[in-house]
Amino acid sequence: MNDYAIELSGVCKSYRFFDLQNIALRLNCGTIMGLIGPNGAGKSTTIRILMGLVYPDRGEVRVLGHCIPDAQVAAKWDIGFASDDMRLYDSMTLGWHINFLKSIYSSWDDAYAHLLLKRFGLNAEQKIKGLSHGQRVKAALLLVFARRPKLLMLDEPTTGLDPVARHEILRELTSVMAEEGRSVLFSSQNTQDIEQISDQITFIDRGRIIDSVDKELYLDRWRRLRLEVPDGIQLPTLPGVIGIRQTGRLAVAIANAFEPHLPNAYENSGARVHAVENMTLEEIFVANVEHSREEVKA
Amino acid sequence: MKPNVVLRLILKDWRLQRRVIILSIAAGAIALATLLMRGQTPVVIGAVFFFISIIFCACLLPITNIVNERKKQTLPFLMSLPISSSRYGAAKLLSTFGMFLVPWLTLVVAALYMIVGRHILPNGTIPTMLILANLPFIGFCLITGTTLVAESEGWANAAVAVVNSSYWLVWYLLVSHVPSLTRNWAGPVAVWSPEVVRILVVQFAIVLLILALTLYAQSRKRNFI
Repeated sequence: MNDYAIELSGVCKSYRFFDLQNIALRLNCGTIMGLIGPNGAGKSTTIRILMGLVYPDRGEVRVLGHCIPDAQVAAKWDIGFASDDMRLYDSMTLGWHINFLKSIYSSWDDAYAHLLLKRFGLNAEQKIKGLSHGQRVKAALLLVFARRPKLLMLDEPTTGLDPVARHEILRELTSVMAEEGRSVLFSSQNTQDIEQISDQITFIDRGRIIDSVDKELYLDRWRRLRLEVPDGIQLPTLPGVIGIRQTGRLAVAIANAFEPHLPNAYENSGARVHAVENMTLEEIFVANVEHSREEVKA
Repeated sequence: MKPNVVLRLILKDWRLQRRVIILSIAAGAIALATLLMRGQTPVVIGAVFFFISIIFCACLLPITNIVNERKKQTLPFLMSLPISSSRYGAAKLLSTFGMFLVPWLTLVVAALYMIVGRHILPNGTIPTMLILANLPFIGFCLITGTTLVAESEGWANAAVAVVNSSYWLVWYLLVSHVPSLTRNWAGPVAVWSPEVVRILVVQFAIVLLILALTLYAQSRKRNFI
């Protein structure tokens, strides 16, 4: 049995104005990975490569133990894929879509599909063109969830949803994950969603993976230190601190590898530490992207 | 045993495009019925509308069945299914061809019946009618191949424009360069001269060539969405 639902190594893909560079990524079976990145970072390209819809120029891709793109058909039997640019057939009903997929997937769970219809407040008799955006997203996810796939690949599925609909989707995703061995790759720009459901976080920016780590460990590593710097005191450069913003006597230091001795080190240099704060994933995301871009420039 | 996804996609296309097929057959049938009124004007009107109904189907089917999958963003839904891009291409090619062949064959057979069974036109027009009926078929193949390979509405429209403009040129070339065709079309017997047979064989070869090139180009694609 393969331990990884997804394995990418040395994957490169070049377009005229964008390069996906040396992507290496592993998703353990039974975990949820949140893929975070700004617009144009390479999230969708990565997921399309995993689905065999885009062929990489170099590198190796394995999904559920199958080589992609060559064995994409075998892999796709066990993959549920949805993206924000995916639409259903406007002129047909949701019930027609359900029957269409039922005729393809022997794993189709009719009872679960009916349960989801109720939970999402959808009507199988309604044509897709009569559904709101939120209902369309829910309908698409119903069609994915009821296949009972081993791996879910969701490319920004919550984009454009109101908070209630987003909450419903995320709750369902969490309950889907309760089934043993199911893995999820979930891309989003919404860090709140990722923070809520992910076990593993991967940051991607300008075609490069910046970080791919366990969420809890990651959140624990980042801290913001609010400092007061008396006149004439120069803040030292400390390992684990990726940036300092100073305005007059007040400074903010961002640490991406926080150690308990860091505040003492600043105190010893003559500065006063007013607060050591945890950071939200969104703050970490922005700080990480900015830091990574500065590193690339340097 | 896993179900045949290509077959499911073909059936899905037939279900979604049934209106175009029915509309084409109905339009062609009305055009052929006009021929029954006899007289030069109804025959000319009926014959022109007969070809228009086939051309309508040849232009519309590739657009609604292939271009719209991308334009209306239903392609990611299809590609989430256990299917590769080359099998998707094969499914689209088979479904679009099948859907065109139904009205095309129905109307061609009906037209032959009008000539042979109802004597609306002399039997000498049969070779001309078949050669002319093959033109929209070739045009359909070109439009379908272009749309499937280029995957853009712009290219599809360009293919439609080129194909539709070229009918008159081909018609002119046939009339002016194939004397056996014009010499015999008023006769009581269909004459299968070597020229006519050669034209039919070339038309058949063009269809096969377009099909092969389309499948080859589709299998070489590295970026599908």
